[in-house]
Amino acid sequence: MRARFSLLILLLGVAQAQRNPALTGEPAPGARPEVNPFSTEADILQGGALFQTHCSYCHGVRGEGGRGADLTAGEYRMGGSEPDLFKTIRMGVPGSEMPSFRISDEEVWKLVAYVKRLGSQGLFEKAPGDASVGKALYGKNGCAACHRIGDQGTDLGPALTDVGRRRGLVFLEESLVKPDAVVANAFRAVQVVLKSGQTITGLRLNEDDLSVQLRDVGGNLRSILKENVREIRRDKPSLMPSYEARLNKTELVDLVAYLNSLKGEP
Amino acid sequence: MRIRCVLASAAVLAALGWNLSGQGLPVSYERLLKAADEPGNWLMHSHTYNSWRFSSLNQITTANVKNLHMKWLFQGRHIEKFETTPLVVNGVMYLTRPENAIYALDAATGRQMWMYEYRNPPRTFNCCGKVNRGLAILGNTLFMNTLDMHVVAVDARSGHEIWKTQIYDYNEAGGYAAPGAPLVVKDKLIVGMAGGERGVSGFLDAYDTKTGQRLWRFHTIPQPGEPNVGTWAGDSWKTGGVTTWNNGSYDPETNTLFWGTSNPWPDYNDDFRAGDNLYSCSVLALDPDTGKLKWFYQFTPHDLHDWDSTQIPILLDTQFRGENRKALAWANRNGFYYLLDRTTGKFLTAKAFVKQTWAKGFDDNGRPEVIPGNEPTPEGNDRVWPGVDGGANWMSHSYSPLTRLLYVFAREEHRTFSKNAVPHPTTEVTANSAAEPTTVAQANAGAYDPAIGGAITRAVGAPEESWGKVIAIDPGTGDIKWEHRVLTPPWGGVMATAGNLVFGGTLEGMIFALNATTGERLWTFSSNGPVFASPISYTANGKQLVSIPAGDLIVTFGLD
Repeated sequence: MRARFSLLILLLGVAQAQRNPALTGEPAPGARPEVNPFSTEADILQGGALFQTHCSYCHGVRGEGGRGADLTAGEYRMGGSEPDLFKTIRMGVPGSEMPSFRISDEEVWKLVAYVKRLGSQGLFEKAPGDASVGKALYGKNGCAACHRIGDQGTDLGPALTDVGRRRGLVFLEESLVKPDAVVANAFRAVQVVLKSGQTITGLRLNEDDLSVQLRDVGGNLRSILKENVREIRRDKPSLMPSYEARLNKTELVDLVAYLNSLKGEP
Repeated sequence: MRIRCVLASAAVLAALGWNLSGQGLPVSYERLLKAADEPGNWLMHSHTYNSWRFSSLNQITTANVKNLHMKWLFQGRHIEKFETTPLVVNGVMYLTRPENAIYALDAATGRQMWMYEYRNPPRTFNCCGKVNRGLAILGNTLFMNTLDMHVVAVDARSGHEIWKTQIYDYNEAGGYAAPGAPLVVKDKLIVGMAGGERGVSGFLDAYDTKTGQRLWRFHTIPQPGEPNVGTWAGDSWKTGGVTTWNNGSYDPETNTLFWGTSNPWPDYNDDFRAGDNLYSCSVLALDPDTGKLKWFYQFTPHDLHDWDSTQIPILLDTQFRGENRKALAWANRNGFYYLLDRTTGKFLTAKAFVKQTWAKGFDDNGRPEVIPGNEPTPEGNDRVWPGVDGGANWMSHSYSPLTRLLYVFAREEHRTFSKNAVPHPTTEVTANSAAEPTTVAQANAGAYDPAIGGAITRAVGAPEESWGKVIAIDPGTGDIKWEHRVLTPPWGGVMATAGNLVFGGTLEGMIFALNATTGERLWTFSSNGPVFASPISYTANGKQLVSIPAGDLIVTFGLD
């Protein structure tokens, strides 16, 4: 009888362990809140400290990326909702070097809060300029020739549809006056000088030891064998010109205000 | 009637020589000792115990390599990359697929014969992908380490599991894992482990190949009462890392096992671990029968840059200053090539093979004269070379006895090293940490924090600012005889052959063959799968083939 009772306890225990997400490592379905319960300013501050310890090795000290993704861009391959980010941090990203992290739920949520803040700097800053004037400057300077807002514009440069949510004011201004300062890998420009003397400028899409692939400024996809190349110049990594001399200080502030107003879909 | 039919079919198959799964087995220890005499096979991770990764096959040569073409692909159909080195035993290829599956293939065609799949828990804790680097074989048994810290023995003829042994609780500390290939020495299976970024306590184990029973454990951090425990301040030894996550080498003549160790933890923050932190970033010379330490040499005392010394040791005899030496050659992650006397551990010479800023030289005992100013800083120190992934990493090097050159696929890379606050462990690691902690206090006590090390390393500037290079090193002097530059720092190793070729693959998936004497590129194949492994060569149906993993493919090449 005692043996039977012990067996029953054991079986119940095994069943319990199999269901216990803490023991299996799987999150319990439905047990996780849909809204981050740790998102106060103090939580974000603590999340920043946790970020330095756990994440900055790959994602950079300011979340700017490196071995891992750029988290300041506010774009998340595995989903950008708070539960999505929680799952990504808790479970890691299969097929990548992003591991799962053995930290408490509370800490994961604080990291989520910090990462969300990293990628939504524009929501927490008030631009001083006149956005309507900035919008006119955007049109007058032909920005849509390279950038897209919604369904208007092109894809030679980064889309700006929600740039006012993702990026802070300092970044937006720097992008206008020093466009070479921070250039995402997907928008790095090269100048390919052929042995024939022709120079092809475009976005470097891919490269190996024998060839380089790019989208030229006309939007054409090009693949060029290096045996035909004299030089690949990389000293001007952005196709965008500097607007430091093209805009006065007031215009610059107004244009930044317009970009800051672009929050994307609600 | 039915039985007769089966017997008749078996006789026909045997007559036709189709009994592929049994040919070449069992693989005795004597055969492993003389693995170089079986160039048609690949019987251990580095081909031979001296880890030359040299194939004496010479059907593919500098003259005909231009005719090399793809013979078959094996598609892993997994999202992790292959990091495995397959084994080949008389026409059958055995390989590991992420995460912890084993496949037996017809090495001539890539057709699958059987598959064994080990089930890991949903969450395991290897630092850099759910990868596995390969198998060992003895008799009719294959051996594989697992991400959840087990060793499994599998019948090479059927794929059936024979035994399974737990190495350690993978949930301890910030998480243990065993991604490397094991190594058979005599009747023992030598098994390493990973977790150096997660505050673990390192060791190297030996298991009985018949039963899976653990025979010895060498703690890579001295335990209380042992020599050199004083090289760790306070109780930092308890969570000091020092793992053994790659493969080793064995010298039968001196009965010595050589194995490299990883970084001390926390990687970039030494506030609580003053001292040399032995035996981190070292080569260990062990008696494989007992696990006793014969000697050690520490390449990077008190490492601050995650410069693991887990490269695979190369055992070779070479001239050094006019004398023939039984040597150990080591191109280290810290950017220096080292030559040691492998019978004593005596330091012979060291020479940088990539740009380095941290040492101005070595004293007679081989202790580096460290240049101040290379330490990680809170704001980030970008004046340090090599980068965190080092001048070399885990990928295999190769030595050709024909050219007498050591081939290394080296990394020139610039990164920034930063230092963060890391909470210091103050309590014992708990025995039962399978459950997730639910509070910050729980997470920071007991099982301790799984911090990846407490520092930042990030690329500086454009990716084009770093590159890779295959180099040929004169092992006696460290002089670089030639250099073949590639676009990006590699994660693949190299293999030299008697055809005077060096094979390898780049991060862009360009698989290449170089002239082993000059470094000239003679042949290229665009696989477009990043190469995170090292090539092998073997024969199938008498023809020399070369296989190399690229992305989730095993790509195999041959002549006609």
